[in-house]
Amino acid sequence: MNHFLEMRHISKTFPGVKALHDVQLLIKPGEVHALIGENGAGKSTLMKILAGVLQPDDGAEIKLDGEAAAIEKPLDAAEKGISIIYQDLSLFPNLSVAENICIGKTFGRSLFSRVNWKTVRETAKKAMAEVGVKLDLNTPAERLSIAKQQMVAIARAIAFQSKLIVMDEPTSALSNTEIEMLYRIIENLKAQGIAIIFISHKLNELFKVADSFTVLRDGNYIGTYESSEINEDKLIALMVGRELVKEKYEKHPTGDSLLEVKCLSKRGNFKNVSFTLKSGEIVGITGLVGSGRTELVQAVFGLNPPDEGEIVLYGKPYKPVSAEKSVKLGIAYVPENRQREGVVLKQSLTNNMTITCLEKLKYRIGLIDFSQEKRLAEYYMESLDIRPRIPEMSAEQLSGGNQQKVVLAKWMAIHPRILIIDEPTNGIDVGAKSEIHRLLRNLAKEGMGIIMVSSELPEILNVSDRILVMRHGRIHGEFSAASATQEMIMSVAFKGKEDEKAESLQNA
Amino acid sequence: MKNILKTKELGIGAILLLVCIIITLINPVFLTADNLADVLKANAVLGILAVGMTLIIITGGIDVSVAAVTSAVAVAIGHLMLYLPDHPVSLVVVFAAAVFAGTLLGMINGFFIVKFSIPPIVVTLGTLSIISGALLFITNGNYMSGANFPEVFTAFSKYEIFGISILIYILLFFSLITWGILKYTVIGRSIYAFGGNSVSAVRVGISMKKVQYFIYGYMGFLAGIAAVTQTAYIRAVDPNGLLGFELTVIAAVVIGGASILGGNGSIAGTLLGTLLLGVMQNGLILARVDSYWQNLVTGTVIILAVSYDHLQKKRIDAQTAQIEVK
Repeated sequence: MNHFLEMRHISKTFPGVKALHDVQLLIKPGEVHALIGENGAGKSTLMKILAGVLQPDDGAEIKLDGEAAAIEKPLDAAEKGISIIYQDLSLFPNLSVAENICIGKTFGRSLFSRVNWKTVRETAKKAMAEVGVKLDLNTPAERLSIAKQQMVAIARAIAFQSKLIVMDEPTSALSNTEIEMLYRIIENLKAQGIAIIFISHKLNELFKVADSFTVLRDGNYIGTYESSEINEDKLIALMVGRELVKEKYEKHPTGDSLLEVKCLSKRGNFKNVSFTLKSGEIVGITGLVGSGRTELVQAVFGLNPPDEGEIVLYGKPYKPVSAEKSVKLGIAYVPENRQREGVVLKQSLTNNMTITCLEKLKYRIGLIDFSQEKRLAEYYMESLDIRPRIPEMSAEQLSGGNQQKVVLAKWMAIHPRILIIDEPTNGIDVGAKSEIHRLLRNLAKEGMGIIMVSSELPEILNVSDRILVMRHGRIHGEFSAASATQEMIMSVAFKGKEDEKAESLQNA
Repeated sequence: MKNILKTKELGIGAILLLVCIIITLINPVFLTADNLADVLKANAVLGILAVGMTLIIITGGIDVSVAAVTSAVAVAIGHLMLYLPDHPVSLVVVFAAAVFAGTLLGMINGFFIVKFSIPPIVVTLGTLSIISGALLFITNGNYMSGANFPEVFTAFSKYEIFGISILIYILLFFSLITWGILKYTVIGRSIYAFGGNSVSAVRVGISMKKVQYFIYGYMGFLAGIAAVTQTAYIRAVDPNGLLGFELTVIAAVVIGGASILGGNGSIAGTLLGTLLLGVMQNGLILARVDSYWQNLVTGTVIILAVSYDHLQKKRIDAQTAQIEVK
């Protein structure tokens, strides 16, 4: 079969770094092609070249439909039928669905041309019909759920008459039902001959959608494989360049009870939730996105004060009213959105790590002791293996895994007794993932109590000691990690509507 | 979006109506045709400038040099008129010169904002200082009487259609044009897109540079129109007459429901905001409240209007969040 897109001999040199080295990517029409590799393997550089944001070094060869094509700026890519759906979806929150779909192409390029609202509405309607979802075209994008926003972004790509759509981590913010829906849309696009490049870190989901895989490692092309001729373990080995042994963590004895949550409720968030956390224990909380997991842990931390219920902290009753108070009592919280809530991107690593404990780094007159601050930063960079080891670097220059380590370091500096961590490895590559897992296990071993919220079942099963499964704001199952399986957890998290009704009757 | 804007504008309209009723109860003179026409006429300049400012604020930018630009153009045409003969063409020359000078000054703002990516508030603070300084130097702060202006200009300033001053028609005309630009041209939609998400705007191929040149240039253009209107209204040129007026202009836009962070705003809202400010000022005069209190009232209204807006937005956001959690 002829390829729709052929990229060969793609190299890209940045000052001091060779980001891509003679990489190739061949895409057939109507196939779903997964592009995988660890963070920093060169996926995004390659996609930026495809999008016209970056230019490859000399010698690169890009062909579309068998003919040499020059993609010098983002507009060229769009005009040649290539659409990129970035992780942030690139929508305009203040514009209507119809406008979001039509902006750029249907609107016309010349700034002073007239907007034909009738054409705009018709184009948008047609594109949404092809996606197969009905939405009010006049709703502003900011009023839509992430899943629907994504459909608008896909509709835009269709309205642009794209023949190739690149989806960057499209499932990272979706619940499982929404992911199923996305797969159906993708099938639909495939049937129309539209090729899709799918970028994701979740290997198990890739096997459900992808027809073939291209693996990159450290900017090198490793190979392209049909999905029938490869499996997950082999892919991981190709990505990291070594067989990744699934680490079995030693479970160790737990100590005193740190936290007891009794019948905690918050309207619209969660209801009648009870659980305990002992020192040295990792309690995993899982469930679908929107099941109230994040709201629950934020309630315990004091960001989302509960309506009813009791919390006993270190044997004494505790009312979580503010994050400040919780931190003083030795509770640390690492939020899901690292970039927005976890690290201060523009600040140096040192500043990021010492922000929680500046009180301790003060001279008596109130000024900060910089040499002590530097020692502390260096200590954590060393012990957590944060790379590159440059304390002055700003946090935004770090990979996701290293950013997460910086966030952890920041909290370890105040020696918390309880650590609450939400989606600890979201968007972090395989290698860094197991490092974070090991780190969490070590912290527990030293006596910390950890509450870990995660959607990734392997992570939940592998890292936690005990597992709580939430659904619609309630805890519906508790398992010990030793005896639980993915199937058991999924069946609780997904229980059908009928069971739900029966249950609510029982509860009533 | 239309629905939200509609409710937004409806909200301002309701407040406006309420204020009108209160003022009428205090002093029935308010509701006379003469007084209402006076209110409109007195706020034509504010309206014209606020309409231009709306585009800038929608993109998330700001122009604090508008009042200074308007004053500079007014001084320029004031001097120009000393040499113009009493002939209808003089009127055309005055408008052309005003629009040219205004656009030029606006483009200078645009140039620094686009070329060096300096935040608009910094650039326009700079030009505000430079222009007002230069004006003071050139005019010594002296007032120019309209007695020496061509007769045709004086006639123009008094001209009425159906008993309504030409100045009000000027405001309506340019409001309509600007509304059309926002609604029916690609650049209008690009202005909203830019304000909503500038990164995405670049990705879909919108030229930020062109949009910014346009909005700051157009602001200057309208400042030129406002300068002619102001000169016609007071039939004189007062280089210090608009000192600090940029804040009133921004206030009108913000009261009109535009988000100072960009993304939202409408011409209808801005006109309502302008009217609300004008009516309140008129009402305070009619109620014989000391003029020193007027700024205090204006400030209160701004804070109330914006707080209401944010509360509303928070409520809607909370609703959306609830649906997702269940």
